[in-house]
Amino acid sequence: MDKKLTNVLISLIVILALFAVVMFALGAGEPAEGALFNFSVDQASVVSRFVFVVIGIAIAFAVYFATSSNKAWEVGTREVVWMAIGAALYAVFSWLFNGTVFVVPSLSQVSLRPAIAIPMFFGFAFGPVVGFFTGAVGNMFGDALTGFGLSPQWSIGNGLVGFVSGMWMLFSDRKKSMDAVLYVSGALALLTALLFFLNRGEANMLFYDVDNGIFGDQQISLFAGLAIVIGFLLALGVRYLFRDNEEVATAVTWGMLGNILGLLFAALSDIVINGFSFAAAIVGEFLPAAGPNLIFAAILVPMLVVAYKSTRTQSGR
Amino acid sequence: MLVAWRYRKRENSLIQSFDPRAWVIFYACYLFATLSFWDVRFLLPFFFIAFFVLFTSGVKWYEMRRAFLFIVGFVFFFALLTFLTGRGGAEVYEEEHLIREFTASFSILGWTPSLKVTVERVFFAVSQLVRVSSIAVMTILIPYSLNPALYGITFKGVGLPDKFAYAMDLTMRFIPTFGRDFQLTMDAQRARGYELEKISGGIVQQVRKLGPIFVPVTIHAIIASEDIIDAMDLRAFGVGPRTWLDVLTYRMRDRILIAAGIFLLAGSISLALAGYGSFWTPEALIKMFSN
Repeated sequence: MDKKLTNVLISLIVILALFAVVMFALGAGEPAEGALFNFSVDQASVVSRFVFVVIGIAIAFAVYFATSSNKAWEVGTREVVWMAIGAALYAVFSWLFNGTVFVVPSLSQVSLRPAIAIPMFFGFAFGPVVGFFTGAVGNMFGDALTGFGLSPQWSIGNGLVGFVSGMWMLFSDRKKSMDAVLYVSGALALLTALLFFLNRGEANMLFYDVDNGIFGDQQISLFAGLAIVIGFLLALGVRYLFRDNEEVATAVTWGMLGNILGLLFAALSDIVINGFSFAAAIVGEFLPAAGPNLIFAAILVPMLVVAYKSTRTQSGR
Repeated sequence: MLVAWRYRKRENSLIQSFDPRAWVIFYACYLFATLSFWDVRFLLPFFFIAFFVLFTSGVKWYEMRRAFLFIVGFVFFFALLTFLTGRGGAEVYEEEHLIREFTASFSILGWTPSLKVTVERVFFAVSQLVRVSSIAVMTILIPYSLNPALYGITFKGVGLPDKFAYAMDLTMRFIPTFGRDFQLTMDAQRARGYELEKISGGIVQQVRKLGPIFVPVTIHAIIASEDIIDAMDLRAFGVGPRTWLDVLTYRMRDRILIAAGIFLLAGSISLALAGYGSFWTPEALIKMFSN
């Protein structure tokens, strides 16, 4: 067995062992009065629950095993340089367009944050590992440049945007996988939009207009709330408009799923970290971030893909 | 130069007197330890640690004023929002004890605005304020106090593989370069009549008009990377373990800081597991306002 495979196997066994300790040892006791962590597991069903953990880990291993020879996971000199370029570009763009350097216009609470196209494009063009690094490290440096401090959960979320954008490389049937991605993204977009209609009173926490005294406290606008559906429809349009140019369609659809899953992760983690309610995390944070991002993705990512393709043809690489 | 790092060497700074690896480890322990509690009595020591570090950091007020005011405004606003709506806190307490209820003398479309001030809401807002500002103050200091030239070796030192640590280092070098490229492209496009400041139209039009600046900078960066890849390949990058220009060595004070961080984290998690540190309101206040 090669060294890389052994390492992955060892990490998964360690995770399994941790779960076993938590479920069988800590889970058997009653939680202490008012304890913040409640590890108590119903011992009658603990075995069947543990089986699910084993299945989950087995799936993770199977995915790795089946795709371990896939060149999507390779990290050589090229990938190292692409990672650094992607992260630096993402940091510079997100710093320049965050409203402090150039005053970019905003429409109905949606400010222009085009930088998100960078992790999506780098993930698509150079693979999930480069995509993850671009998003996570780029976001970290972008925040550091602005001086806003770091929020690790948003860096990981941005990393996931790039990671998922590169996952198309793991599937042999591009068309089928693209359709599956469209269904999942559509369902998530509709569900979160529905949540917006049920919680119209939430504030748009990402909208700042210092001149008019708005610090993320204005009620979320209809456009910001529905941007995710508009973005989804745009991406759907690109998918069918570029039927003959599979690269553009793949980049936009996978980028869309990455954007939804990555930002959903970041927003939901704010429930644990900042004590937000579920509705505030989804309607106040996720929708105003993920919706407009989809619009930028549907327009800027195709531009980058087409330009990159023509330079590759010219240079013969 | 378009991009300037906020770090500079400060002689009288406590943070900067430690090895950056030790500081990163301590920061991670501090972060997770703070997240274990909602009890304001347990959170106050963390709050004091954060402000102690801030006041001994040597960072001048004028350097961090903007970022600091932004974060403080943000934290205050959130605490106020949870207090006014009473949402958010509902996950950590079930019963509320009313102190006073304010009801507006008017109603809008049958809805009369009212504000319930309860013991739980007040204490949840205070706890949230202390918890989030402790983390924010510690975090905000990082870009001001960690030397960008040491990022690569720091990440290598905390266990990241060579390739990823080197990628971090390269990222730091590329940022000022791309800042300059952006400025050059912007000037070139301006000379041809492009005006970023005046882009108008609907959102799709506006995003489309960012293309002339966005695409050339990105594609130019990718093309230019070929030279760097060639140079690295010629020097056999990635063939064996690499050496670094700067060498970091742990001193006694760094070991003590790491030990303190681990002790803080282990202690906090043990306390939290034993049932201490969950949301707290003073008994006396509850008695005073129970019906």
